[in-house]
Order: sequence, then structure tokens, then C-alpha cells
Amino acid sequence: MKSVEIQGNERTNFGSKYAQLERKAGNVPCVIYGGEAPIHFSAPTLAFKGLVYTAEAKTAKVTVGGSTVEAVIQDLQFHPVTDQLMHIDFIQLVEGKPVTIDIPVKLHGQARGVLNGGKLKSVLRKLSVRAVPASIPESIDLDVTDLRIGKSIRVSDVTPEGFEILNATTAVIVTVKKARGAVDDEDEEGTEEGAEATAEAAAEAAAE
Amino acid sequence: MLQPKRTKHRKVFKGKMKGNSQRGAQLVFGAYGLKSLDSKWVTARQIEAARIAATRYMKREGQMWIRIFPDKPITKKPLEVRMGKGKGGVEYYAAVVKPGRIMFEIDGIPFDIAQEALRLAAQKLPVRTKFIVRRDLQE
Repeated sequence: MKSVEIQGNERTNFGSKYAQLERKAGNVPCVIYGGEAPIHFSAPTLAFKGLVYTAEAKTAKVTVGGSTVEAVIQDLQFHPVTDQLMHIDFIQLVEGKPVTIDIPVKLHGQARGVLNGGKLKSVLRKLSVRAVPASIPESIDLDVTDLRIGKSIRVSDVTPEGFEILNATTAVIVTVKKARGAVDDEDEEGTEEGAEATAEAAAEAAAE
Repeated sequence: MLQPKRTKHRKVFKGKMKGNSQRGAQLVFGAYGLKSLDSKWVTARQIEAARIAATRYMKREGQMWIRIFPDKPITKKPLEVRMGKGKGGVEYYAAVVKPGRIMFEIDGIPFDIAQEALRLAAQKLPVRTKFIVRRDLQE
């Protein structure tokens, strides 16, 4: 799993007043918990660019006061109007202790339904996964090549390896919707079979 | 036009619109959205006009979500009526929109089309707006 290195300054004063001062100075107040004791720190907003504004799931290697801690994002707060990053909660990665993290779904291949004029619709872009740090997947890869029009891949169709998926098993991850001018797969099969039968009949007639 | 099916109270107080939106300030469904920067009552008629303007430009492609609902009944006294004699009748319904509120979301169309569709929608609304994009969007 990819990780982003963050150099943080330890916060000694807590509360909204001091958090606001940090924000005015261009920093984001953060907290790491899940370890022995919570670590309060702040870091420049730009340091979180590769961690927050990305579709990939990444871990953060936070260096505060000489010690480095590996953590993942637990919660994010944004300003409702300016969308400025206000606060980040991290959860520390401890060997053998499972954490919950959102993992992006990556689709591979060209769906059969799309080739027939259907439209691929990704319903769940991320899946909520619970795993120990060693087995957190980088992404959940799905092959959509055999997906026909009207068919979908559900959470129950994914086989987790070393992790648990927390989404409802019936939840749809990706589906192919029928679009205008789309050819039904059954029709297409029918025409293929029909064409084969006609070709065979023609060959037999020629032999006679 | 959007309107409640039934209401608990026929008429309500005007109320105050202080502060920023506490909910509905982040994109949930789509990749693009239209965020309000002002506090105003947005009427059902304005929401419908904005929806039509955006969907017409999108040419029935993609999907659109309306994140506000006009549930506040607004009353009006008839013309040329003296003051008093009770509160007027319900004239229309409006949604209370505060700064930060996402009013519309769009998905399934390219960036430039979404931007133009929401610009056209914004022209029908009484508030200043901002076009926003999902933070993990990959083009």
C-alpha cells in the first residue's frame, strides 16, 4: 500500500481557539488515536494533498517529535462554504489490530454489455473494508468483461482475501444499464445461433 | 413542481437564516455539484426552472440529484386587502438554503458539460453559487 510522509508539529494547546489559530497559520489540526496515547499535531495543508485529494487508499507516515507513526484516515472535516480542510482524525496502524478503511474499486476490461450499446454504471466507488494492517488491499479489482446488459456485480460476488467487506452483501458495485439503441444480449445470441444454423444448412445443401 | 404531500402545520413562521449550512454541504451522489454561497428561500418554481435548464443542456445524458426540498409554506395576502383579518393563504413552497448547501448534483457526464449545465441552472436561482467537483475525481 502506498504511503505519504507527513512532517507534523506537536500541538500542546487544544480546543477550538488554538485550532483556529493553526488554521489561520495555514496548518491543519490533526489527531492520531488507536495507539497507546492520542497524538495531537498539525501540519501544512499542502502536505495532505496526496492523501486527501486522491482516489487511492493510502497510509500516512506521520513524524511528530522524532517518532514516526503509521496511520490511516478515519474522518475528515471540511468547511461547509470554502471546502477548506479543517481537521483530520487518523487511526494508528497497530500490528494485528484490525482497522476499517475505504478501499477504491478498480474495474478492468470492457464489459460485454457496453460493446452492445449498454452503459456501465459504477454504483459503489469504494468499499468499506476491515482488515489487519498487513492485509489491507491497495484496491479491489473487478473484471467486468462478462457483464451483460442488465447484469451487475454485487458485494457478495467479491471474494475477499484476508479482509472483511462491511458493505451489505446485496449492494450493487457495478452494473450495465440499458441505453437507447442497445442490442439485447439474448437477441445477439439468437442471431449468432441463427446465423450458424443457416450456414450449416447451406453447407449441407451444397454437399447434396 | 416539488411540494410536500401533507404538512403537520398549514402555515409556519418566517424564521431566521443564521450561519452556514450544517448538513448537506458535501457531495454524496454525483461527481459535480452546485453549492450555495448565500442564505435565501429558494422557491419550488426556481428549483424546477433550474432542473429543466440543466437537464435540457445535458440532453438526457447522465443523472441529476436535487438535494433541497421546498417544505416551507409561504403565505401571501391577496392584493388590495387591508392589513389585519388574519394571516394570508399559502401561496407557494420554498426551501431554506444557507451558505454551503449543495443544491444539485450531477454524474455520468464530462466535466465541461456538467459545468455548463450547472451554470445554466445557477442563473435560475436567487443565490450566488459555486461549481464543485468530487475531491477524488479522476478524469
